[in-house]
Amino acid sequence: MKPQLLIALSICTVFSCAMSPAQTVKPESVAKTEKTKTVAIVGGKVLTVTHGTIENGTVVMSAGKIIAVGPAKTTKVPAGAEVFDAKGMTVYPGLFDAETNLGLTEVASDQNSNDLAETADEIEPQMHVADAFHAETVRIPVERLNGITNAVVAPASEDSIAGQDSIIQLYGRRDQMLMQRDIALAMNFQGSVRRKGSSNGPSKFPTTRMGLASQIRQAFFDAQAYEVERAAGAKPDHKGAPPKRDLKLEALLPYLHGEKPVVLAAYESYEVEVAMSLAKEFHLKVILNHVTHAQDVLDQIASYHVPVIVGSIYDFPRPDERYDAVYTLPAELQKRGVKIAMSSAGGGEGGDRNLPYAAGYAVAYGLPYDEALKAITLNPAEMFGLGDSLGSLDVGKTANIVVANGDPLDVRTSVEQVFIEGSAVPMVSRQTRLRDEYMPLTTNKP
Amino acid sequence: MLSGNTPSDLVIQNATVMTVTHGTIQHGSVWIHNGKIAGVGATVNAPSGAKIIDAVGKFVTPGIIDPHSHSALGDDVNEATSPVTPSMMMIDAFDNRDKALYQALAGGVTTELLLHGSANMIGGQAVVIKNKFGLSRDEMLFPNAPRSIKFASGENPKRVYGRRGEVPSTRMGNFEVMRQAFEDAKAYMASWDAYNAKVAKNDKDAVAPKKDLKLEALADVLRGKLLVQIHCYRADEFLTEEAIAKEYGYKIRAFHHALEMYKVGDKIAPTGTGIATFADWWGFKDEAWDAIPWNAVMSMREGVRVALKSDSNDYVRRLNQEAGKMVNYGGATEDEALRMITLNPAWIIGVDDRVGSLDEGKDGDVVIWNMDPLSTYARVEKVFIDGDMFFDSSLPGFGTTHFSGVMHEAGFEGSDDEGGGL
Repeated sequence: MKPQLLIALSICTVFSCAMSPAQTVKPESVAKTEKTKTVAIVGGKVLTVTHGTIENGTVVMSAGKIIAVGPAKTTKVPAGAEVFDAKGMTVYPGLFDAETNLGLTEVASDQNSNDLAETADEIEPQMHVADAFHAETVRIPVERLNGITNAVVAPASEDSIAGQDSIIQLYGRRDQMLMQRDIALAMNFQGSVRRKGSSNGPSKFPTTRMGLASQIRQAFFDAQAYEVERAAGAKPDHKGAPPKRDLKLEALLPYLHGEKPVVLAAYESYEVEVAMSLAKEFHLKVILNHVTHAQDVLDQIASYHVPVIVGSIYDFPRPDERYDAVYTLPAELQKRGVKIAMSSAGGGEGGDRNLPYAAGYAVAYGLPYDEALKAITLNPAEMFGLGDSLGSLDVGKTANIVVANGDPLDVRTSVEQVFIEGSAVPMVSRQTRLRDEYMPLTTNKP
Repeated sequence: MLSGNTPSDLVIQNATVMTVTHGTIQHGSVWIHNGKIAGVGATVNAPSGAKIIDAVGKFVTPGIIDPHSHSALGDDVNEATSPVTPSMMMIDAFDNRDKALYQALAGGVTTELLLHGSANMIGGQAVVIKNKFGLSRDEMLFPNAPRSIKFASGENPKRVYGRRGEVPSTRMGNFEVMRQAFEDAKAYMASWDAYNAKVAKNDKDAVAPKKDLKLEALADVLRGKLLVQIHCYRADEFLTEEAIAKEYGYKIRAFHHALEMYKVGDKIAPTGTGIATFADWWGFKDEAWDAIPWNAVMSMREGVRVALKSDSNDYVRRLNQEAGKMVNYGGATEDEALRMITLNPAWIIGVDDRVGSLDEGKDGDVVIWNMDPLSTYARVEKVFIDGDMFFDSSLPGFGTTHFSGVMHEAGFEGSDDEGGGL
């Protein structure tokens, strides 16, 4: 069954068919429903994330915000509201992907379309992904059709300090999409960022983890010294020219002050420990990333009291590990009280749209369902400081809402409608247009 | 080939049995006798001494079959020194202790086609394995499986040779290299025909032509002795490949990747060529730019035989989920979806008379799942191959029943199309 928008008070009057082919020719950037309108999603099973599941629930949005959430019996549909009939469907908050390269790459094999990371230096905090973010990427409409409404855009993990992340919403003009730039610092303490040399270039410092660690420490010390020098230079009695502005060192200061989080990637147990000791030395506010092969220090990770973006759950176990050593990791961390998020990074060539299935896979291996849903909604929103506006169906939050024909974490489920900031997003992408163009004329529409 | 501890009679009972060929049986049983399926149904006539596995609440399917894998071939996937290398035998690189095989087994995969990479227009000859992880190399070979050969087309060959300033560097070059190879093979075959004709006439002066492994392999393609498996993405290239096959008189068994088949399914369906495609991979290279996740179902609706495959040490562990996506992307029925990872890939490999469904007489390759395998939440509990259990998730350690010792790191982490592989 396809969802339909109905006008309240004129029951069963079809206002518009959200999926009718005639509408799919609209450009992907144009909303069918203006966000100023009031829309009520009625009759669905509502997964609020913060206050349980409402079997027959009503969610009302207006001016881009959620204005009511509750059981149908007690939640009034405002007069004049458009009604979206979600009977038999599941309603849940838009998914939040804790690590993507959205807008930084189009075709992976085409270098001209890639702005993934500067690699001339290991320490690149002055690189802002917002400066490269390509809002018109074909990828964003593709991903959002599966219910991804928000994402962290991060540089590729090719440097020990790779740059600063942005948070986006996956709809709107570029300025609407770029919700917050420089929201976190992307750091990587892992073997793959060493400069061992390859066909692309010769080896150079740092070729070892010792080198990585010392280089990171030096960078933070330099930033601290720069700050002192800058403060001195700003004093009225300072003689001579103020110190030259150093964008690289300046970029590290908010992180040294603990004002913003550092997303600290490490895979192996010892990498996690070394990285965390560095973070502790400089009082960084840490979000750990990956910890894929840190099964033997999970209690210690819990003792850090930092959130973790775990996985990819699809990372390979080592040859001496059981097949499910990584599948069980989200559950094992959550069990220890760690706040976890999951991301689509490392999820393969199917794209970021497969994020919910990664969470579902964690459920198969022991993560409670509600925690899995949180790991791709509220938890990442909170980790990046957006828990007040995103990640759950609560009054006052941004109306990023997904309606699907079943369990959002199941591969068999189809998303029927995505709302972002209260707008019904056109359920079209370059891929649906190709599908419709080549749809076999002699057979049923798949 | 029975292993030492195969029970002579094994019955898995009270399960939801997904047969693939004749529907799903609630509270059904599967009886395996001496490694072969002897009965499938609401009841089976197994002898009283049969080993019984009560599978209440569980789902039973045939073993999952991956028709496109580069696992267990170390770093030897591509002999990328010439665009035509048909005498390369992948069995010579087969490492039966590769951890990727174990991880695939834990995902219910019982048969794999291990293919040469896609660097060459005409690559090497594949090896078909049964995933009897822990047994010897020889014991893991699929007995009497047909021979397959890997061809490629499009971006990979032209990139590999083009960047060395060699032919091919274009799609024109790609196909020219192929045609020339078959012309060489025809000449070679003619020289042998002439020699054999002389021998038949007792011509004492007949001199045998030199045996040439490469041309011998190409001749076997022309003789129809090899199943031709072609790495091919674009719609125009399917048509060109079919035209060349027709010109030289061989059949194409399947296009692999085949991400644009939805554009020309009506033209390919009558040829009988199948496809082994990804569920939803897209955009990682130019020739994957028009990929859409509805490709498999749309092509199926046009009459093309469709299989899903991994081309990846990662995805091979969860082909059941890839099949599940087909319910979403195009509304495949559960039977249709399951067929894409069982019977249809079995056909592509040429072993569909032996595996790929739960039918009497077929090999006892059976997976027990904790729930519907098309769900994200499905886990493999037990895997039987030829009636012998090779994996049991309830066992401590690896959960393997035949493996002991040390696994090998996967030499090749996955797809030869993810960029780093070539």
